[in-house]
Amino acid sequence: MAEGMRVQPDLEFIKYLKSAGGDTLKKCYQCATCSVVCPLSADKKPFPRKEMIWAQWGLKDKLVGNPDVMLCHQCGDCTAYCPRGAKPGDVLGAIRAYAYTHYGFPQGLAKLCSQGKNLPVMMAIPALLILAVWYLAGGMSLPTPETIDFGMFFDAHKDHPTLVGVLTLNVVLIDAIFVPAFTFAVFSAYKGVSAMWRDMAAKLPAAGNFRPSVKQFVVDFLVPAVKEILAHNRFRQCGANRNRVNGHLPLLLAFIGLFIVTGYSLVRKDVIGSFVEGLHGPLSMADPFKLLANISGIALVVGIGILWMNRSRMEEENNTTPTFYDWFLIGEIMAVGVTGMGAEITRLLGIPVLAYLFYFLHLVSIFMLFLYMPYTKFAHMVYRTFAMAFEKYRESSFVKAE
Amino acid sequence: MSKKYGVYICTGCGIGDALDIEGLTGVAGSYSMPAKTHAAMCSEAGRQMIKDDMANDGVNTALICACSPRVWKEEFAFGDDKLTVRANLREGVVWSAEQPSEGRTAETIAEYTNELAQDYIRMACVQAQKMELPEPYKLETINRRILVMGGGIAGLTAAKEAAKAGCEVMLVEKADQLGGKALGWRKQMPTKAPWTDLEENSIQALVSAVTSDPKITVKTATEVARIAGAPGDFSVTLKAAGTKSEWDAPAKVGVDEQDKIAKGQMEDPNAGLKNYMEADPAAEKVGAVVLATGWNPADVSEFEHLGFGKLANVVTNAQFEKLAKEGKVPANVAFIMSPGGEQHDKDFPYCNSVTSMVALKQAQYVRQDNADGKAYILYQHMRTPGNMEMFYKGAQNNDGIFLTKATVTGVAEEGGSLVVQAKDTLLQENLELKVDMVVLAAGMVPTTSGAPTINLSYRQGPSFLDLELFDGYADSNFICFPYETRRTGVYACGGVRKATDMVETIDDACGAALKAIQCIESADRGVAVHPRSGDGSYPEFFFQRCTQCKRCTEECPFGALDDDAKGTPKPNPTRCRRCGTCMGACPERIISFKNYSIDMIGSMVKSVEVPDDDEDKLRIIAFVCENDAYPALDMAAMRKLGLNNLVRVIPVRCLGSVNMVWIKDALSSGMDGALLLGCKFGDDYQCHFVKGSELADKRMGNIGETLSSLGLEPERCGVRQVAISEWDKVPAIINEFVEEIKGMGPNPFKGF
Repeated sequence: MAEGMRVQPDLEFIKYLKSAGGDTLKKCYQCATCSVVCPLSADKKPFPRKEMIWAQWGLKDKLVGNPDVMLCHQCGDCTAYCPRGAKPGDVLGAIRAYAYTHYGFPQGLAKLCSQGKNLPVMMAIPALLILAVWYLAGGMSLPTPETIDFGMFFDAHKDHPTLVGVLTLNVVLIDAIFVPAFTFAVFSAYKGVSAMWRDMAAKLPAAGNFRPSVKQFVVDFLVPAVKEILAHNRFRQCGANRNRVNGHLPLLLAFIGLFIVTGYSLVRKDVIGSFVEGLHGPLSMADPFKLLANISGIALVVGIGILWMNRSRMEEENNTTPTFYDWFLIGEIMAVGVTGMGAEITRLLGIPVLAYLFYFLHLVSIFMLFLYMPYTKFAHMVYRTFAMAFEKYRESSFVKAE
Repeated sequence: MSKKYGVYICTGCGIGDALDIEGLTGVAGSYSMPAKTHAAMCSEAGRQMIKDDMANDGVNTALICACSPRVWKEEFAFGDDKLTVRANLREGVVWSAEQPSEGRTAETIAEYTNELAQDYIRMACVQAQKMELPEPYKLETINRRILVMGGGIAGLTAAKEAAKAGCEVMLVEKADQLGGKALGWRKQMPTKAPWTDLEENSIQALVSAVTSDPKITVKTATEVARIAGAPGDFSVTLKAAGTKSEWDAPAKVGVDEQDKIAKGQMEDPNAGLKNYMEADPAAEKVGAVVLATGWNPADVSEFEHLGFGKLANVVTNAQFEKLAKEGKVPANVAFIMSPGGEQHDKDFPYCNSVTSMVALKQAQYVRQDNADGKAYILYQHMRTPGNMEMFYKGAQNNDGIFLTKATVTGVAEEGGSLVVQAKDTLLQENLELKVDMVVLAAGMVPTTSGAPTINLSYRQGPSFLDLELFDGYADSNFICFPYETRRTGVYACGGVRKATDMVETIDDACGAALKAIQCIESADRGVAVHPRSGDGSYPEFFFQRCTQCKRCTEECPFGALDDDAKGTPKPNPTRCRRCGTCMGACPERIISFKNYSIDMIGSMVKSVEVPDDDEDKLRIIAFVCENDAYPALDMAAMRKLGLNNLVRVIPVRCLGSVNMVWIKDALSSGMDGALLLGCKFGDDYQCHFVKGSELADKRMGNIGETLSSLGLEPERCGVRQVAISEWDKVPAIINEFVEEIKGMGPNPFKGF
C-alpha cells in the first residue's frame, strides 16, 4: 500500500481563518467552479479548489508558504461564481494574513498587528515616541502663521534651525526616528520573505542542483515580476472586480512618486543642504518635484478612495467579509494621504495649530506604514512580488531541468 | 338483465371522412342493433342523444363506436345499471391508418381499413351481447380495525394517524416496551427548519401519544402467530413473544411435497400446527394490516480489510450510537461509509441514504464530547436528500468535522490507535488517519429478510413472495405504489420497506395507514384496490367442473385463493386484484368475471370475419395488455404512425388473463396468427400484476408444442414485450410479427 499523508488537522488554524475573513471556508463542497474561473488555475492543479479543502482540513503546512496562495490577487471571480457562498477569495486572503503573521519577525510585533483589538497600541507606539522626542527636543511650541515650516517642527525656536554638526536638529531627529523604523521593516520583510522562499522551494517536486546567482535572480525573476506588477497584467485578467486597476494603479504610482520626492528631499535637504545655505524650508510650489509630490498626493488619496469604495460595495453586496486585515491598510494609506494633504493646505493657509496637528498625525501614520509593513496587508508588496519571482523561478530551467 | 342495445357511431375526429359509415351501420344491423351517428358523440348533444334513447326507448347497453376506451370514460358512463361497450374506431382505425405508398393505392387501403372498422363493430356487438353488469362482492360483516405490527416510529405513527382518521387500532409489539430502535438514540436528526441541528429524542412523546389514545389497543411482549382471512375480515392469532404456538403460520407445502408427506418420504414441516384453513375461534378480527416491523443492523464482518471483529475499536454505527448514549465518545473517530476498497464504490448493503446522515449525526457527538474532537467522514457517496442537505451543510460547517470522498483501503492497528488508509481523496493525496475509533456505516436489513414476519396463513405460504429478488424487501411496485405488497390489505412502511430516516418513516407510516383505510373502504364497497381501483367485478368459479388442478391457486400473484383438502379453490374476493390470471390459468375455463369472460373474449375472436379466398387478407388477433401496451398503441396512433391493418386488437386486463383457448379459437376460425403484447417480465418486471406477462409467455410456450403436433408453425403465436414509453417501436414490432406470418403463408386450416 502506498504511504499516505499523515493528516493532523489544526483546529486553531481553522478557527483563525474563520475569524480573519474565512468564516465561510467550511461551506466549500469541492465542485471546482472556482478553479474553472480562476486565471491562476492550471491543469492538474485545481486552484483554489484544493486549497479550500486543505483549509477545511486545517492543513496549515500546505497553505502557508504556498506560492499560489500568495499569487492570488483576490480578483473575486471565485467568490462571485461560488455556488455555495464559500468565498474562496476571502479564505485565501485570510491565509495570506495568517502567513504574514507566521513569517513575521519579531513574532510579538507580528501578532500585535494581526488583530483589530490591538489598534490602539499600534497607534500609541509611534504617537508616544514622536511626542516624547518632540517634548525632549523642546520644540513643543507653535510658529507664527507666516513662518510655518515643518523643517522646524522639533526645533525649539521656529525662526532659525538649530544645527547639530552640519545637519539641522529636525533632520537629525526625523532620521533618528524613521531610518531605523524603515531599516527594521526592510530587515523584517527580508527575513519573512526568505523564510517563505525556503518553504516554497522545499515544496518543489525535486530541488534543482543549481541555484541562481543574485544577479541571475534579480535579472531573470525579480525584474520581470516587478515589470508585471507595474503593468497590472494580472489585475486586468480579473472578471468580477475589473475596476480595481483604477484604484490600485494610481496608488502604486503615487507611492513611487512619493518615494522619489522623499529621496530627492533627503538628498537636497540633508546632504546638499548641509553645505549649501538656503536649501532648507519648504519647496517652492513651482518646483517640479513639488509638482510631482502634489500630483502623487492627490493620486494616493484618489486611488485609495476608489479601493475603499470598491470594498464597501463588495461588502454591501455580501461578496466579501469585512476584516481588520483589509481595512487597516485602507485606513492607514488614507490617513497618510489625508494628513499629508491637510498639513500642506493648512500650512499654505497659515493655520499653525491645524498644520502642526496634521503634520504630527502624518508622522504617526507614516511611522505605522513603515514599521507594520511586514505584518499587515501592506506586506503583500514584498511577499507577492517574491511569490511572482518564485513563480518564474519554478518555471525556469533551474527547477525544470529535464 | 334484459338488454336493449343502442349503437352510436361517431363521425367526428376524421372517422366520418375515412370510413364507410353506412357499412358500419349495416354491420350493427346484422346483430339487430339499431345504430345512430353523431358528428361529435362526446359533445353534450351527442351524449344527450344517448341519454334520451335510454330514457325514452329503454336502451341500457350503449355501444360507443368512437374513440379509444381510454378516453372520455366518465362521459360515456351512464350509471351503474347501464353497460357501455367501446369500439375504438379513432385511434384503432382512422388515426392509425396505413399511408398510401407505391403498390398500395388509397382505394386498397380504404378497403382494408373499412374491413378493420367493421370487425371492431362486430367485436363490440358480441362483447355487448356477452357482457353482464358486475355485482360487487360484499362481505357479510366488515371489520374496520387496523392491525399495526411493530411499535417503533413507523408503527407508532401509523397507529396514531389511523386513530386520528377515526379507526380502531391494535398495535402489537414484540418487545416489552414501545419505541423500537429509537429508544437507543442519543439525539435525533432534525425534523424541522432550519434542519441543521440535532434534536432531543422525541420517541417518548410519540409513545405517550399512542398509549393515551383510547382508539389504540397496545399489546407489548406480543407476537402475531398467524393472520388468516382477507381484507375486511382478517383473523389474527396473537401469542406471547418468543413462544411457540399451535397457531403459528404453517410453512408452504407444495403439491409435490404433499405427495411425499402422504407417502412418508418427507416429514411434515407443519406437524403439530393447525391447518392453514382452520379458523381460530379466539382470533382478533381486523380489516387491514400495517407492517412496521422495522429492521435489524446489518452484519459487516465480511469486510475483513476494515478490521471489524478483529480490531478492538472498529464498531458499527449501531454500536457507536449505544456508546454515545451511554457516555463519552473518543476524540478522534473515522466514519467509513463505503466498504468496497478498490473493488467497487458501493456503500454498505441496505444503507440507502440513512447511513450518510447517521454519520453526520454521530460526527457531532465526537465534537460535543471533546473540545478538540475530530471526526473524519470518508465516503464514496454522501446522500442527504431533501431538507437534509441543510443538515449536511450544518455538519460540514463544524470546524472539527472533516469530509472527503475516499477509497478506504484498510484499517490497521498502530500503538494502541487505529490507522485508516485512504486513496483517491479530494485532497489529491493518499491519506493516513490516526484515530481512536473506526465506525462502519452498517445498513438496515428488513425484518422480512430471513423470516416470514407477516405470518400469513395462506395457501401460498406465510411470507411475501420473491423476497430474494428484492434483497429481502417485500415486492411492492416500489416506485409507483410504494406501500403495496403482494398481499392485499397488508401495507409495509418504515425500515421494513426501505432504509428510511425518521422524517421519511413518519411520512411512510401516514401513507401506509391511509392505504389500509382505503383498502377497508374498498372491501366494504366490494371493489378492487390498486391497480384496478374501484373495479366492481370479481372472478366467479363454476365449481362443478373444477378438476382441482390447483393452477389458479398456484399462479395467483396475490395469493387470493386458498383451497380445501381436496384442492378445490377457496376464493377470497377481497384479496383479489381482478387481474384475471386465474381465468387465464384455468384449463377447464370455469373462471370468469361478469364483464370479462372466457366466452366473451372467445366470441369476440370468433366474430372477426376471416376471408378464406384472399391470400393477402391475413387475419391476426392481438391480445394487448391495457395497462401499458394498449396506451402505447393509442400514443402511436395519436402520432399518426400507421398500424398494420391485418391485426385485430382486443384489450385484456393483463396478459396473465389470456386463456389459451382464445388462441385455439382464433386459429380454428381460420386466423393466421395470434400475438400477445404485454409488459416486460423477469427480474425487472413492469407487469402491473407482477407475474401476468411472464405466465402468458410460459403458456404460449406450451401451446407452441400443441401447434407443432397439429402441423402448425409454433411461431404463429408470439409474445412481445412493450413498455408504455415505446409507442415509437410498437408499429415495427407488430409489422415484424405480421411479416413472419406472411412468410409462413395463410393458416392451412382456413375455411374448414
